[in-house]
Amino acid sequence: MMQIVRSEAFKLRTTRTFLGITLSALALVLLISIAGAAAGTYHAGERPLRDLLGIGSLAQLFALVLGILAVSTEFRHGTITPSLLAVPSRARLVAGKVVAYGIAGLVLGLIAFALSAAIVSAILSARAIDNGAAVSEVAKIVVGGTLAATLYAILGVGLGALLRNQVGAIVGALGWIFVVESLIGIIPGLDEPVQKFGLSGLASSLTASDSGRNRLDQVPAGLLLAAYAAIFVVAGIAVLRRRDVTA
Amino acid sequence: MAHPQAIEVAGLTKRFGATLAVDGLSFSAGAGRIVGFLGPNGAGKTTTLRALLGLIAPTAGRATIEGQAYGALEQPAATVGALLDGGLFHPGRSGRNHLRAIALAAAIPPARADELLDLVELRGAADRRAGGYSLGMRQRLGLAAALLGDPRVLVLDEPANGLDPQGIRWLRDFLRSLAAEGRAVLVSSHVLAEVAQTADDVVVINHGRSIVQAPLQELMARRGGGARVAGPDASRLAELLRADGADVRPGEHGSIVVTDRSGEQIGRVIAANGIVISELAPSGQSLEEVYFELTGGGEGGPS
Repeated sequence: MMQIVRSEAFKLRTTRTFLGITLSALALVLLISIAGAAAGTYHAGERPLRDLLGIGSLAQLFALVLGILAVSTEFRHGTITPSLLAVPSRARLVAGKVVAYGIAGLVLGLIAFALSAAIVSAILSARAIDNGAAVSEVAKIVVGGTLAATLYAILGVGLGALLRNQVGAIVGALGWIFVVESLIGIIPGLDEPVQKFGLSGLASSLTASDSGRNRLDQVPAGLLLAAYAAIFVVAGIAVLRRRDVTA
Repeated sequence: MAHPQAIEVAGLTKRFGATLAVDGLSFSAGAGRIVGFLGPNGAGKTTTLRALLGLIAPTAGRATIEGQAYGALEQPAATVGALLDGGLFHPGRSGRNHLRAIALAAAIPPARADELLDLVELRGAADRRAGGYSLGMRQRLGLAAALLGDPRVLVLDEPANGLDPQGIRWLRDFLRSLAAEGRAVLVSSHVLAEVAQTADDVVVINHGRSIVQAPLQELMARRGGGARVAGPDASRLAELLRADGADVRPGEHGSIVVTDRSGEQIGRVIAANGIVISELAPSGQSLEEVYFELTGGGEGGPS
């Protein structure tokens, strides 16, 4: 199993995709949070550090896309064939990808959240603005946000295995998060459950960077998001096992 | 089951929706032999090979390697090496890294990747992105990937595609040396000439069904193909042709009968060696004609 994880991590390192996605995510997160910290006006009683750290959630979406690419890229270029020749068990191959891409998502999330926490607090303290957050609160955001990025990457691996089509899976996932959940969220009666149990709501709850009324606590949110990810991975493996690999 | 065949396909059937791609196909390949797997495009060759490699689930029947389904092999990379679709790789990854990724997954030392890059003469391009490789380089990278685990069985789908004449010659010698080391080699092709000088046995299929399976020489002898050559240097010509692997039999009045070379191929040997002959005439059918007759006269059209 370790050798499959190492091979997947090696594959991830040896194309430009991983570097491109990681650097774009970090650039975007840091740019927006630095601009907010350096230029925003904050009044007493506001909590600028916590609000600015919420921008790190963007890194979670990049992690999701990265995870989707794990299996869908193999189908796009036909490399699924040599991969399955080296690792005939499709369950083991996907499991290896889950570990490798979970680690990649974790690294991406950790860098994004930890780096923006450090830079934003430095800028705020240079401007003599009270950041409004205790150290323990910042730690909760960094840990929760990193875990959400990890689980999003794992969920992406499952979704990519389920759909196999790269563009379809990415458009479907982002469309679900940005369009479908938002639309359901304005229907009276459905708004509360979708904000509480939907994908983006769960990631926000796990990140704990805002305190909306319809939020689960960090731990139950993390457990439910992990369950979603597990369902997608199991479904992805089940579909892949029954699939004829013809190219 | 003490000595299962290297490759055994038994009653293999595969249906894709309404299409019957493979229809009750059976054949086997033994160690140390090159088996040419022939048929026109769309005959079911690739489907058969993919079923053998566990990539496609058969509708009925089975395809095994050393008596086991591919998925049940303890060390797949050390047992079977395969080249499919000219080697499949990510265009943004270098050839060396493509091999190393497979080596890591199959627990093969990474130095083996460099060894094979030398063997297939790709060292110079090893660190370039594989998307920029020529067709021939892709085939050789695919061959290197197939050989990573030093497998006892090789399954090669159309390995000569995209190779130039020197490349095809190189491949032919390469396959011979692999078989000489005791490996079983199953090599598919839709061009008979590519395997005619290499294969020990041939399996010809069309429309997913087996048409003929026999040692190549036997097939040729049965069909009475080849060319008759007579003249003062006929015996020297026979020696040269035999050295090149041709099947040469004695004919009447000191003439010779070459069963598996065309008149033109023999003519070239004659010209290259300054040999004097008095007669060169086709006798019976050529191997090409036999193949076309078996597969229905190339009805698949050009492709």
